Amino acid sequence: MTLSKKTLAGLGSAAVMASMTFGAGIAMAQDGQLRGNIRVVIGSTSTGGDTYQNSSIVVDKLAEHLDLNMKVDAVGASSAFRTLDRDARGNTLMIFHDQSYLGHLYGVEGYENIFEKYTIGPTVAINPGNAYLVPKDSPYETLDEVIAAVGDGETVRVAIQPGGVSEIGFSALKNAVSIEHPGQEDNLVAVNTGSQSDKNQQLFDDQVDMIHGSVQANEQYTRLAEDDQKAMRFVWLTARQDTIEQAPEEGLGKTSREQLLEYVEPNVHVTMGDDETFTFDKEFFFLYNKDMDPGIVEQIDEALTEIYEEGEIQETQKNSFFIPNFKPSDEASEYLNEKMSRYEEIIDNIK
Amino acid sequence: MEFLSLLDVTFFLLAGFGALIGIIFGAIPGMTATMAVAVCLPLTYALGLHHGLALLLGLYVGGISGGMVPAVLLNIPGTPSSITTTFDGYPMARKGEGEKALRVCVIASVIGGLISAAVLFLFAPMLADFSIKFSYVEKFLIILLALSVIASLSSSMLVGIFSGVIGIWLSLIGDYSISDGGNGKTRLMADFMEPYLFEGFSLLPVLIGIFGISTILLEAEKGVKSELSHERVKFGKGSGFSLGLFKGRLTNLVRSSFIGTFVGMLPGVGGSAASVLAYTQEKNLARDSSQMGKGAPQGLIASESANNALTGGALIPLLSLGIPGDSTTAVLIGAFTLQGIQVGPLFIPENANTWYIMMTALVFANVVMFFLMFFAIKHIAKVVMVPKHILYPIIVMMCVVGAYAINYGIMFDVWTLLIFGILGYLIQKVGLEVAPLIIGFILGSQAEVYFVKSLESFGTLSIFFTKSPIAVVLWLLILASVAFSIAMSLKNRKRDREEQIG
Repeated sequence: MTLSKKTLAGLGSAAVMASMTFGAGIAMAQDGQLRGNIRVVIGSTSTGGDTYQNSSIVVDKLAEHLDLNMKVDAVGASSAFRTLDRDARGNTLMIFHDQSYLGHLYGVEGYENIFEKYTIGPTVAINPGNAYLVPKDSPYETLDEVIAAVGDGETVRVAIQPGGVSEIGFSALKNAVSIEHPGQEDNLVAVNTGSQSDKNQQLFDDQVDMIHGSVQANEQYTRLAEDDQKAMRFVWLTARQDTIEQAPEEGLGKTSREQLLEYVEPNVHVTMGDDETFTFDKEFFFLYNKDMDPGIVEQIDEALTEIYEEGEIQETQKNSFFIPNFKPSDEASEYLNEKMSRYEEIIDNIK
Repeated sequence: MEFLSLLDVTFFLLAGFGALIGIIFGAIPGMTATMAVAVCLPLTYALGLHHGLALLLGLYVGGISGGMVPAVLLNIPGTPSSITTTFDGYPMARKGEGEKALRVCVIASVIGGLISAAVLFLFAPMLADFSIKFSYVEKFLIILLALSVIASLSSSMLVGIFSGVIGIWLSLIGDYSISDGGNGKTRLMADFMEPYLFEGFSLLPVLIGIFGISTILLEAEKGVKSELSHERVKFGKGSGFSLGLFKGRLTNLVRSSFIGTFVGMLPGVGGSAASVLAYTQEKNLARDSSQMGKGAPQGLIASESANNALTGGALIPLLSLGIPGDSTTAVLIGAFTLQGIQVGPLFIPENANTWYIMMTALVFANVVMFFLMFFAIKHIAKVVMVPKHILYPIIVMMCVVGAYAINYGIMFDVWTLLIFGILGYLIQKVGLEVAPLIIGFILGSQAEVYFVKSLESFGTLSIFFTKSPIAVVLWLLILASVAFSIAMSLKNRKRDREEQIG
């Protein structure tokens, strides 16, 4: 049997049309669902930091669970926000932490009110390691002594990165001084620096008396001998006591959970007035484009609920010194909004 | 010697494979060692720490070395740290000595890499203690020293300095980033540019635009007739390469390797400063540096040994302080973080096996890089024989892909490539100099941050002179470098005058 060109062309077109129809069927069936390659941008440019580490854990599990190709890109805050702004299809998602709204509260350029501009996705974990350190041979043994010294008129210089997570503890401390020793708060001086390396260097150079750091980045420095120029000591972990209590018993490095608990409330008291103590848990959560299909929000919520129910992710997170903290989108949005108002008050108080 | 049991065939295969892929990444304009490491970082999950490190260190060494290929053959620095390789490499390639230039580069690279690995192995903790003596003030002075090369690099000092200042000005466009401890405010731009230029021009697109695209535009202007005719390109035994080229260059080789290691170990000073500094020092200290910039192997030796020595140097603060020394080690640290391993001052004593594994991978990757490159050069160098009407469109395409990919898909980076390609073309047309401009661009923003931070910390300008004995030594080096440039300039002027009279 011979087929004419016309027949062949006809058959070909039919096949193409059939496949298109079938394809469209699939596409329609997937409406409101994640599909294709998903890019998860994060608000940090570092692949060595906690945001990348935590996002990788969550995104890996999510990709496996949804059987999708997902990749974490460390593009930094302003690029991440801009990329998210451009994509309402759901192929770009973002993971960041409290910096995303603190940047706005501190008026940093490039940060807008995330609760208005984006859809808040689920929270996934807490990094309990947000810390403040002094040199090992510092005259200040505890944070109380720092507050007392500032109250007595001594100048205490603190190295922070302005406009966010690094500054919020400093603001709270300043607020505490203004409550306990009114008028003395200006003796607590912020020294604006960049990376953790810069903050450490300022301490080595004796240019500051205290630095913002983290358990992960600075724990080894706290185990150096006192005569080592690099030796440091924790004086404050901003996390809640509850949070640290959920960390593995062995803690991090060679510093146990028990030892870490010495540096959190109620042992360290940074007042917010009315017997309230300031605490700050650095929490990681998803951010979505406002116009993204709500079906995708639901899909991710459901997938993460199932992943957290399986329980394996919690182990991975804890092994990496993260505290699992899954809250579905609605709950997370309300919770984070409330959290923001709390810190807004502190920042307004010391303005 | 427990670590020996951890070494298996896969380990060596991964390190070798990493070096190969790294070379390819480095050799493609717009792709860098950092990108190669970033792309493969998630693989460390599956591979485990030791195998993952073998792959990543291979990529690192290969990526830094691969940058020499486009630098020499196409006048496009494959990585920012191979800028100074273009100064002598491309003139040599134009003389038909591309293969010879590449062989010099490969040998200098492997020696630089191995010297720095040895320094890392023997002195890491001690050097880390020394590196923390460099505060903002000393770091600013190091950058100033590297900037002083601008004066001696240019054919006309005044034009060179002017070009350098334009470069610095361009580098300051964008915000004074809060991640540098700045105020996050933008400057030197109109409001409508903010969405594109918030973080300023991205380094790599600027670099490949100003070197690569502008070279292609200049060539296009001349028409498609090839200057590098087949007869003139020397290959194989006739390439003119012999180990004799290194005779009398041992001091240069060792000095540049140490400069590379040293700059690598200072966090925040950056890789490009290493090769620029090594190049300057060779220019200032060599008995005869008159041919540098016109195709002298000594320039290649300085540049390539220094940029490969960076690898060991940058690992010093990473493994002894937990602080990455350059952009690639900043990604590499992710391999440890992903495996939940802390790097800090106690990393080496507490993770002896990992430490030995890393050293083995580093040395092995250098050796593999050497063999891969040395024997492949003959073929790689033939790139220049590809007809230009085929070669150039391919290069442009690779540059565009690289520029688009460098910040994970920012279209403005492609425009940057074009803008700086045209700018580079115009600059050369009006008689300004590209090399000082680009050095100013690379070092300008760091110089600013360290200058401002020094003043914020110490509150007085005199601190730059009185901070420490290190600062005094750096000032002496800066003065020597400037004095040398002036002396050279006067000598050249005298010679020109004599030639005119003659």
